[in-house]
Amino acid sequence: MYVIVVGGGTVGYYLSRDLLDRGHEVTLIEKESRRADWLETQLGSIVMRGDGCEVKFLSQTGIERADAIVAVTADDEDNLIALQMAKRHFNVKKTIARVNNPSNVEIFKMLGVDDAVSATEILLGALEPPITT
Amino acid sequence: MIVGCGRVGSQIAAEMDRTGHDVTIIDRDPNQFSRASQRGVLTNDFKGNQVVGNGTDAEVLRRAGVEDADGFVAVTEGDNRNIMAAQIAKHVFKVPRVVCRIYDPERAEAYEKLGLHTICPTIDGAKRIEKTLLQQ
Repeated sequence: MYVIVVGGGTVGYYLSRDLLDRGHEVTLIEKESRRADWLETQLGSIVMRGDGCEVKFLSQTGIERADAIVAVTADDEDNLIALQMAKRHFNVKKTIARVNNPSNVEIFKMLGVDDAVSATEILLGALEPPITT
Repeated sequence: MIVGCGRVGSQIAAEMDRTGHDVTIIDRDPNQFSRASQRGVLTNDFKGNQVVGNGTDAEVLRRAGVEDADGFVAVTEGDNRNIMAAQIAKHVFKVPRVVCRIYDPERAEAYEKLGLHTICPTIDGAKRIEKTLLQQ
């Protein structure tokens, strides 16, 4: 599977590393040049420097043949726009977002994102006792 | 409802308040309201609501009264924030008139095609400057 990861923070780094370990092809997009340099020392040439919200840049990532794109920057709005561009311009089959605000899980789906994951929501689920009927 | 209390947002808020519209203006930075006041734009005469909060947070928009809004303007400094706020207003809260500012011409064109009413000051400004220059 070919996966594009947008955002090389902690989540993006570990996600890319694990995907590579499992034998997938990955391109990791990071906007900030110094962070990208570090990521390159860890992950090699899969790192690309640029803005994952820009169509021209995305078109250089081989996005036409991507099976999935995952946006995991710390800003929900950046994740939304990157995935909408991927879906509408390049018709990527699976678009997945990390969201920081849990209410964006539903909103992202209404705005055309295939799946959205909120760490806050997962933690809340883990804290709450299971429903017993 | 106006998201973003910079120069443009505060100007629209003051003008529409003066002409008799009910205005709510939102900004995540409380200092933006005092700056607009210092510039003499949002004066003591302003009758609208000033809300401190994140305009891309649906819950913030709902509490600020977006469900009753007839019009929505997204003019923060961030293109992506504007696009997200405008889409929430249009598609989640069904606000009838939504206008979104996008500086990046490429992104502006993309979202205009998707049916978002978009203003791109980069292209509009460049065209006007060029026109003025050639007229002189």
